[in-house]
Amino acid sequence: MKFKPLMIALLASALTLGLAACGSGSNGSASSNGGKNEGSTNSQSNSGTKEDTSKKEVKITFQNIYPDPTDPKYKMIRTVVANYEAEHPNVKIELDSLNTDQQKVKLKTQAASKEVPDITIVNPAAQMKPFVDAGLFAPLNEMVEKNGLKGTFQEGILDYYTFDNNLYALPDGNNIALIYYNKKMFEEGGVKVPTTFEEMVDVVKQLKAKGIQPMAIGEKDSWTGSFLFMNILLRTNGGPGFLQDVIDGKKTFEDPAFTEAVSAFEDLVQAGAFQEGATSFDYNAGENLFKTGKAAMYFMGSWATGGIEESTANENQNVGVFKFPTVNGKGDPNEFMLAPGSAFAVSKDSKHLEETLDFLNYFLVNYPKEMFNLKGAIGLAQTVDGDFKAAGYSDMAMEVLNLFKDVKGGDLAFDNTMNPGTAQAHLSSIQNLFVSKTDAAVVAKEHQTAYDENKE
Amino acid sequence: MNVLKVSGWKIAAFVLPCLLIYSLLVFVPILVSFYSGLLDWNGIGAAKFIGFKNFEKMLTNDPIFWPAVGRTMLLAGVSMCVQLPIALFIAILISRYVKKPNFLVSSYFLPVILSVVVIGQLWKTIYNPASMGGMLNQILESLGLNSWTHSWLTEPKIAIYSVIVVALWQYLGYHILIQFTGIQNIPSDIYEAAKIDGASGMKADRYITLPLIVPIFKISVVLSFIGSLQSFDLIMVMTGGGPAHATEVVASLMYNMSFLSMKYGYGSAIASFLVILCLAATIIINGLFSKLDKRYS
Repeated sequence: MKFKPLMIALLASALTLGLAACGSGSNGSASSNGGKNEGSTNSQSNSGTKEDTSKKEVKITFQNIYPDPTDPKYKMIRTVVANYEAEHPNVKIELDSLNTDQQKVKLKTQAASKEVPDITIVNPAAQMKPFVDAGLFAPLNEMVEKNGLKGTFQEGILDYYTFDNNLYALPDGNNIALIYYNKKMFEEGGVKVPTTFEEMVDVVKQLKAKGIQPMAIGEKDSWTGSFLFMNILLRTNGGPGFLQDVIDGKKTFEDPAFTEAVSAFEDLVQAGAFQEGATSFDYNAGENLFKTGKAAMYFMGSWATGGIEESTANENQNVGVFKFPTVNGKGDPNEFMLAPGSAFAVSKDSKHLEETLDFLNYFLVNYPKEMFNLKGAIGLAQTVDGDFKAAGYSDMAMEVLNLFKDVKGGDLAFDNTMNPGTAQAHLSSIQNLFVSKTDAAVVAKEHQTAYDENKE
Repeated sequence: MNVLKVSGWKIAAFVLPCLLIYSLLVFVPILVSFYSGLLDWNGIGAAKFIGFKNFEKMLTNDPIFWPAVGRTMLLAGVSMCVQLPIALFIAILISRYVKKPNFLVSSYFLPVILSVVVIGQLWKTIYNPASMGGMLNQILESLGLNSWTHSWLTEPKIAIYSVIVVALWQYLGYHILIQFTGIQNIPSDIYEAAKIDGASGMKADRYITLPLIVPIFKISVVLSFIGSLQSFDLIMVMTGGGPAHATEVVASLMYNMSFLSMKYGYGSAIASFLVILCLAATIIINGLFSKLDKRYS
């Protein structure tokens, strides 16, 4: 009993230590923070003896969506950051790598408490508008003029990130939608590349009859089906701008172009184009069906090129691509679904705004070069110098590159054009078409109701 | 009541820190989310106070909300009326016939400690179409029951039941453990006395085990009910609420509204509804059981 106070003190300290350990375990950024500060005082005293002591230590948080080590961008971001840190010993870049969905939710949570990381990722147009309206981002107008950065971007691409003449984000890519196909499976099925949508439905039926899975899709992530549907709408509408017309009050969702697109989409689904249980496949699982040679066609943005190039389906240059065909004779195959990429934005309240802008400038100037070296330069938003063929890019990659030359405009994805409320209603309405046949007029009505409820 | 012979002040001083943390982490967020429910807010920009309009729309004019509530109650109902009796039955069998029950009970408990994501992925593979290697459909086909095969997670009419089965399977072991422990705690001399009076086997269960396990059973009921109301992770992993809201429950709807549709205010209104539902359910269950308690004590 004599030792009781001692025991209590010991227990208490053990508990505190335990808590502290847990704290640092679960809160990685806080602990690495501490570590970095110690490190920085050391480096400061070192550099102090050599040259200027005036430069203060700077830590920049770089939230990004490149967590996958097999993705060329994973290597790229680390190389560029390492190079920059070598040139600027006083700057420390901390990477916060998340997958896309996590990053979206995390940023929304951070934005709600006004704690946006120094550099973060946003999606173009309607998706980034709420953040811009809330005044969270710093304009990049001046920064983009430095080192000729603006000149490297393709013409017009920056418009998707510009609001009231202020540029708020710089994209990591610029993609178009196309259809990848497996040449060997097409041969086995005795079918040719379709030039119209009706032929495509026919091809689906013939492949199906031969026991070949015609198309793959990851429809649990409902944007995939919507992306395909919007491409049909782009055709039936005879050109781009349907959603903009709806927003401007010139058209409604009950327009014939829309119902025609729904019917065409349902023809494709009812012909058995997609794998059984498609709505439970997430994006990666759906894409893997095509990559492993279990499906003959795959509709996706050109960002999938890198992954498909390395896949088993593309052994012996087995994968080809074709443009989305005309629907009921309408539309122009040279108009594409456009997908301006996710983009880097800078927090207005960043503690080191100047350094952050300087780093982002450096990062984007070097981005295309690094990506070219890593064979990931298909579908960038910037012009790339270099001979792709000589650098060892595959035939399919070259085909995709050539498609880019034919682009004569097009539409953005639904959720990049419409407000989030309408977009969600649309996504679930299209997802429903995969599991139950619904009258096109009903689908149109659902869209119109959701739009009327959500417009501001 | 003051058996410890300590002054009220001292008790207050020791309770206060915990109470403070508890209310900061539990009550304040609940109040804040009630308040957010009164706003028209996308979670980022400026918020507009709109009174009870969110609640009004939720209760009277939302085609997704009530079906989601219905599915949540379905899950709760099935888990109370099917899962708990089965768990109790197994617990009685184990405690009566198995000499060294620890291994069995631990095995049943195993799914509880597995991550929900792991379980979701596992069952997704089991439910897959036969052509994708789905185990369930392959078994059905090999038995010649081709007409019984379904794409379990994507047919709107059956998807929710497929998810419920997984939820029940996962937490069965949890309730077996709780009730098994409860049965173990019943003094064995009662059974011995009953044996002398000629009551053993089923009779002993009916008149001794069941009445004495009521307090423990109550814990199981409350846990399973509240757990069902809050079910979210499994739905998110397996179906994401789809196809087209066919497996949407209240919690997943709240998430989708707040973070995907960016209607933070509306999502908060749904959250408030969930809190009230949980509170009401707990009070009702406690009320019912206090009657049962009285009858048997």
